[in-house]
Amino acid sequence: MSTAETPKRKPNDFKSDLKPIWCPGCGDFGVLASLYRAFAQLDVDPARTVIVSGIGCSSRLPGFVSTYGVHTLHGRALPVAMGVKLANPELTVVAVGGDGDGFAIGAGHFPHAARRNVDITYLVMDNEIYGLTKGQVSPTSLTEQKAPSTPWGNLETPLNTLAFAIASGAGFVARGASFNTKALTELIVQAMEHPGFSYIDALSPCVMFNNTQDEWKELVTDVAPDHDIADKVGAFDLALKGGFTLGILYKELRPTLDEKYRHLVERTPDSDIDAMLDAFSARKGVAIGKPLA
Amino acid sequence: MERNSVVIRLAGESGEGVISSGDILTQAAARGGYYTQTFRTYPAEIKGGPCMYQVRMGAERIYSHGRHVDLLVCFNQEAWDLHHDALADDGVILYDSIAVEIPDEYRDRARPVRMEQLAKEIGGSSRAKNMVAVGAVSGVINFDTTPIQELVLRRYAHKTGVADANIAALNAGADEADDLRGSRAIAAPVEVQEDRVLMSGNQAIALGAVAAGLDYFGGYPITPASDILEWLSAKLPATGGITIQCEDEIASLASVIGASYAGAKAATATSGPGLSLMSELLGYAGTAEIPCVIIDAQRGGPSTGLPTKTEQSDLNHALYGGHGEAPRVVIAPTSVEDCFWATVDAFNYAEKYQVPVIILTDQGLATRMEVIHRPDTSKVERVERKTRKDAAGEYRRYELTADSVSPMGIPGEEGGQYVATGIEHDEVGHPAYTPANHVAMQTKRWAKLAPLSNGDARHAHVGDERPEIAIIGFGSTFGPVQEAVLKAQAEGLSVGAFYPRVLGPLPVESLNAFAANAATVLVPEVNFTGQLARLLKAECDFPLESHAKCDGLPFTGEDIYEKIQEAAR
Repeated sequence: MSTAETPKRKPNDFKSDLKPIWCPGCGDFGVLASLYRAFAQLDVDPARTVIVSGIGCSSRLPGFVSTYGVHTLHGRALPVAMGVKLANPELTVVAVGGDGDGFAIGAGHFPHAARRNVDITYLVMDNEIYGLTKGQVSPTSLTEQKAPSTPWGNLETPLNTLAFAIASGAGFVARGASFNTKALTELIVQAMEHPGFSYIDALSPCVMFNNTQDEWKELVTDVAPDHDIADKVGAFDLALKGGFTLGILYKELRPTLDEKYRHLVERTPDSDIDAMLDAFSARKGVAIGKPLA
Repeated sequence: MERNSVVIRLAGESGEGVISSGDILTQAAARGGYYTQTFRTYPAEIKGGPCMYQVRMGAERIYSHGRHVDLLVCFNQEAWDLHHDALADDGVILYDSIAVEIPDEYRDRARPVRMEQLAKEIGGSSRAKNMVAVGAVSGVINFDTTPIQELVLRRYAHKTGVADANIAALNAGADEADDLRGSRAIAAPVEVQEDRVLMSGNQAIALGAVAAGLDYFGGYPITPASDILEWLSAKLPATGGITIQCEDEIASLASVIGASYAGAKAATATSGPGLSLMSELLGYAGTAEIPCVIIDAQRGGPSTGLPTKTEQSDLNHALYGGHGEAPRVVIAPTSVEDCFWATVDAFNYAEKYQVPVIILTDQGLATRMEVIHRPDTSKVERVERKTRKDAAGEYRRYELTADSVSPMGIPGEEGGQYVATGIEHDEVGHPAYTPANHVAMQTKRWAKLAPLSNGDARHAHVGDERPEIAIIGFGSTFGPVQEAVLKAQAEGLSVGAFYPRVLGPLPVESLNAFAANAATVLVPEVNFTGQLARLLKAECDFPLESHAKCDGLPFTGEDIYEKIQEAAR
C-alpha cells in the first residue's frame, strides 16, 4: 500500500469535497474519522481503493472519501464488493453500512461473504435502529424497545452479529465504537491488513432515534488481555456473553477466495475461443453420452 | 424417393436410454455431414417421468424441429399413447417388442424391435437398448452407421469389450426392421467444405461471451440456464477469467455489477424467476451506468411455472421490469448461430452505451442442439468502454457529452475516482435532486441509446422486403418462420419476416417501413397475452394479428405456413 518515494498521506487527504449529511453528534462521524486515520496509517492509494456501501445513513459514507466508491442498493454492498475484489484483486476493498442494511435485508449475503473469505473489510456502523427511515427497530434492536413500528415494545430477540460472523467462518471478527476512535482506527488497520474477510461491528449511536451513547460508554469493556484470538470456541463464548466487548474476538488465517481463483487461473492451461470451438466440431465428433466439449 | 430431411422422435421413461439415443443420433448425423436440429421435452423431476427427444436431420439446411414425425421410436406404452398423434401419414413406428402394444390399424408401418431382449443377449444388461434403437432407426432411414461406430470406439477407447458389445447391438438393431430397411431413406448430405459445429443455444452463448472478452461470470443454478454457469466454470479460467456460483440471483448480478465497476466484462445467466429477483439491480445498473450482460433463458411462467418448457413471456419484464424508468437494451437471438453473435453484440452494446443488456432466449433455443456454421472469430469485434483517459479536463463521471455517453473511471486509474450511485446525481456524481438535473440526467440516460434504434443494431430478415403478408416476431420463432416463408415464397406468395433482434429500443421506423405494403401482419409468439403484439400496437403504425400461444412448445414451420395460407385466402 505505501510507497517509499511519495510522502505519506494524512487523514485529511482522504476527505472528499462532499460534507457528511449526518446529524450533529452522529456516531458515524467518529467511524469516518477512524477510517480516514486508518487509511492514512496504511497510506492507501485512493485511486486503488474502493469503498462499497448499501443504503442508509451510514451507507452515504463513500461519498465523503476521496477513493473510488460504489453506493449500491439496500443490502447489496457485500456481493458488489466481492465482484470488485474478484475482478481486480490488486484493489483494496472496504464495505460499509448499517445494521439494517447488513443484517436485515442484506443478511443473506453476510455468511457467504464470510465463508468464502474474499479479502474485503466489512465495517458495520451499528446503532441498533433504522435512522434514515426515522427510528424503526432493526435486527440488532433490544427486545422490548419501543419504536414507531413496535409501539408496544419489540417482541423479537436481537441478532448477535459477532456470533453470526464467527459461525459463518469470518477470519477476523472485532468490535469497536465510534466514541473510541483511537481503538477503532487500530481495529480498522488490523482488519484491512488481515488477508481475508474481516468484520468489524462499530457501535455508532444514533443521536436522533436511539441515543445510547452515554449508556454504551458505560457498558463497553475491553477484550481481556489474555483472550486467545485463535480460540474459536472462546471467541464464540465472548460473543455470546452479552455486553459490549471491544477489541478483536477472533482471528484465523485461511487462503482467500481471490488467491484461490488466482491459483486456479494459473494452473489452468491457457486456451482461447478458437480452441474451444474446435471441441464442438461436427466432423471431429464428440464423446457419446457426455456433455459436448 | 429419398427425403431431404427426416424427423425422428424417441420417447419413453426418463432414464431408459431415450436421451442417450437422441444424443448419439444427433452427433453421428453431424459427423456424417448432415444438418441437425433437436427438440426435447423432459420432466422437471430428476428421475422418472415421460421424456422425448426429437432429432431432425437434413441433407440441406433445416430451420425447425418439424411437426410430422417420420419415425417414432417407443420405448414404452406411454410413449405410444403420448406421441402417435404426431406421426406423419406414412410415419413408421419402431417399438420395444416387450413393453409396447400397437393398435392393429398401424401394423403395416409398425415394427417391433427387441430392444430390451437383444441388449441383454449381447451386453448382458439392458444398457445397450439405446444402441439397438439407434441401429433400427439407421436401417430404416438408410443412415450409414460408420460415424456411430467411430463415436462408440472413441467413447470406449479403453474398454474394448464394451465397444464391441455396443457395435454388435447397433448392427443387431439395424437387422430388426429388415423389411422396412431404406423405406424412409434420407438423401446423402450435400457435400460441404465449410467447417460446422454442433452445439446448443446455451453453449453458443457461453462461447460468444468468451469471444466477446468475458472476464467475470456470477451465476445461480436455474433451469434452463444452468449449463452456461457450468460450462463457463470449466472453461473461463483457461482465458484468465473467473466464474462463481453465488448465493442467489441478486448476489449474482450484484457481483457482476461490482466486477464491471472494477473494469471487467461481466455477465450472469438466469431464467424468469431469477430475472425477477434482479429487477432492482437492473435499475441500479441503468442509473449508475454500469455495463453488464444478463442472459435470460425464458421458461414457462408465471411463478415457478413450467421449468422445463419453453415460453417467451419475459419480454415485458426484460423491457420494463423494475421501478422508475431505467434504460436497458434487450436483444433476442434468432437461432443457435445467432446466440453466439447476439452475445458478442450484447457485450459491445453494454460497453459502448454503459447499460445493462438482457439477452432473451428460451428453453427451446437454449437447450436444442443444432449444426451451425462455425462462427468466424476473426469477425468478432470487441468494443471497449469510454474511460477516464478519453475525457479532457476536469473529470466528471456523468458528464453530459454529445453522444450522452460519459467517461467511466476504473479503479486503478489516477484521477478517475467517483462514487457510482443509484441516487439521482449531477455530472460529478454527487447526489442532486433539482428538477432540472433530474430531467437532464433521465434525458441523457435514454438519449444515449438512440443509435440502437437508428441503424446501430442488426436485425434478422427473410423473404420479401415489403411483403403483402408480413410476419414480425422475436427470438427463437425465427427458425420456423424462415422455413414457412421460404416455402410460401417459392410458391409465389409475397411474404416476408422481419425480426428485430434489438427489441429495446425498438426499431420503429424499420418496422413501419417493412409493414408499409402489408395487407396482413402476423405476430407469432409463445406467450399468453401477446406481449410483442401489444408493444407493436403501442409503438407502430400498422394493424396486426396476434398469434400468441402458451402451450409450452415451440412453433413448427407447418404452424406458421398454415397461418400464411390463411392470410393468403
